[in-house]
Amino acid sequence: MRHADRIAGAALLAFAIGFSAAALRYYPYWGPGGPGSGFLPFWLGVAMAALALMLFVGALRSREPGAPWLPAGAGLKRLAVVLGATVAFVALLNVVGMILGTVLFLVALLKFLEGYGWLTTLGVAAATAGVNYFVFTSWLRVPFPVSLLGF
Amino acid sequence: MGFSIALTPFNLLMATVGVIVGTLIGALPGVGPVSGVALLLPLTFGMDPTSGIIMLAALYAGSMYGGTITSVLINTPGESASVVTCIDGYQMALQGRAGPALGVATIGSFIAGTFGVMMLMLMSPALARWALSFGPPETFALMLLGLTTVTGLTGENALKGYISMLLGLMLSMVGFDIISGDARYAFGIPEMMDGVDFLPVAIGLFGLGEVLVGAEGATDMRILKGRYGLRDVMLSANDWVRSRWAIARGTVLGFFIGVLPGAGPTIATFLAYSLEKKVSRHPEEFGKGAIEGVAGPESANNAASAGAMVPMLTLGIPGSATTAIMLGGLMMWGLRPGPLLFEKNPEFVWGLIASQYIANVMLLVLNIAFIPMFVRALRLPYNILMPLIIIFCITGAYSQKNSVWDVGQMLVFGVLGYAMKKLGYSPAALTLALVLGPLAERALRQSLIISDAGLGIFFLRPIAAVLTVAALAAAAVPAVRALWAAVSGARRPPVPAPED
Repeated sequence: MRHADRIAGAALLAFAIGFSAAALRYYPYWGPGGPGSGFLPFWLGVAMAALALMLFVGALRSREPGAPWLPAGAGLKRLAVVLGATVAFVALLNVVGMILGTVLFLVALLKFLEGYGWLTTLGVAAATAGVNYFVFTSWLRVPFPVSLLGF
Repeated sequence: MGFSIALTPFNLLMATVGVIVGTLIGALPGVGPVSGVALLLPLTFGMDPTSGIIMLAALYAGSMYGGTITSVLINTPGESASVVTCIDGYQMALQGRAGPALGVATIGSFIAGTFGVMMLMLMSPALARWALSFGPPETFALMLLGLTTVTGLTGENALKGYISMLLGLMLSMVGFDIISGDARYAFGIPEMMDGVDFLPVAIGLFGLGEVLVGAEGATDMRILKGRYGLRDVMLSANDWVRSRWAIARGTVLGFFIGVLPGAGPTIATFLAYSLEKKVSRHPEEFGKGAIEGVAGPESANNAASAGAMVPMLTLGIPGSATTAIMLGGLMMWGLRPGPLLFEKNPEFVWGLIASQYIANVMLLVLNIAFIPMFVRALRLPYNILMPLIIIFCITGAYSQKNSVWDVGQMLVFGVLGYAMKKLGYSPAALTLALVLGPLAERALRQSLIISDAGLGIFFLRPIAAVLTVAALAAAAVPAVRALWAAVSGARRPPVPAPED
């Protein structure tokens, strides 16, 4: 945690300085008769910089041992697979479409990560894709991305 | 007039869907009312706003009932407002008294929920009329108060709470400025010019972020076997005598805690539990299956969830994290939350209030008669539920504007939500700040335009002064504590972050 706080403090400090600098550089601080569009962003950046500095200094001084905040071993692997599959799903949304994507995503997670049998996996996948299609496409008329195959 | 709206077949159906889904969401560990409301928000876009809020409010009430089931039977709170119920509820279940534990929670919840709606009905119009006289300085001071109290009370670390809040305010600056028309921090990307959208952020932080935390470990739940059929949940005369005043105290306490901006159901339950322990004639029984320890907090959380709607509807500042998401929903439906809501959209407000009475009756029946059914639903393994929630996050984020950009945004905030949760930041404070940011900025700038005394205007007008001082005081308490912690390197013992 101590380590993470140091990194977060430094990153937030840099972000805050950039934020305030951009506010002063690009947007008017004071407009006709009142504060301009750069006024509040500038002060938000200043306040964030102050808090980030406090976080950073506090973490430097802390003697508490740095507890790990990311899981190790199996937990990290599970997290990586779930996140990876989700990112792949979103990245390929326009290629494979929502329906096919849903099925592939569930097969990847249920069959290959959790080790369910094909029957359970395909049953859940078919039901989910069906409900999804019914609720969003038929009822709410959301045009989902479709695959190159047309569904 | 409200009932004629709430009783239309479609609105009744929506209330039914809300209470059933809400009870399930409350019962399932890992999905709480905040994630539930965020995930179901996209479904409401095809509806009339009144039907939409009826469903979401019924879901909120339902989740307060449902959380109890898991606390009592598995010793795992289904949501954070049922954490204290585990203490005595699980002990009761171990002694074979799961039925009365669930029964008293349901009856207490019903009394508290109904009382809460009644108070909501009586208090709100007067509060809204009073708030009508607010000018920009009062509005800004009120929002400041909402922001500082929410931030001060949520999360284990006040410094990180304020960092979360500032991050939310900074994100709310992105996009077209309402007054000057400047496209701030958009970097020439058209999607950024509209600002950071509330819905993908809420779904990401509370839906995907929550699931990623759960994805780390395969959870295994053991459900305590017991009898909780219709006859078993009935209370004995002795149980009723012991719990009736606990229900009354929990109800009144819970409602007023809920009304306070920032203090939602979770805090109400903790206070109700310690109150019961203090007034009890046999405090030694607490922790060993005292029925008052279930009755008080379970009543308090329902009263508080109704109370939290008072500031949301009348002042436009939410009383809890869940109502913060609802507030975002209101704005997406094109309604302007605040005192004018009662004048301009009476059908919306009264339809909502009437439907809450109906939802509480439905929940009473549902939770007395159908507990075995909900227990069966708990057997759905988390590792099947988890990918389903992710798919729901993706479709939900996509459906508002049919945009893959929004899905990407949801993904980014999902990862951020995971990190925030693991590192002790407050996603609730970020979300609230993102919702209130543009409104607060407008009020601030209008105030400074009409002011001759600069920032002094917030101290020269009486109502604004009281609100500003209260906001600063709310900020000062944890700020002093945080400063002390930063200087001395000492740490307070962690308090669970409320998620409601």
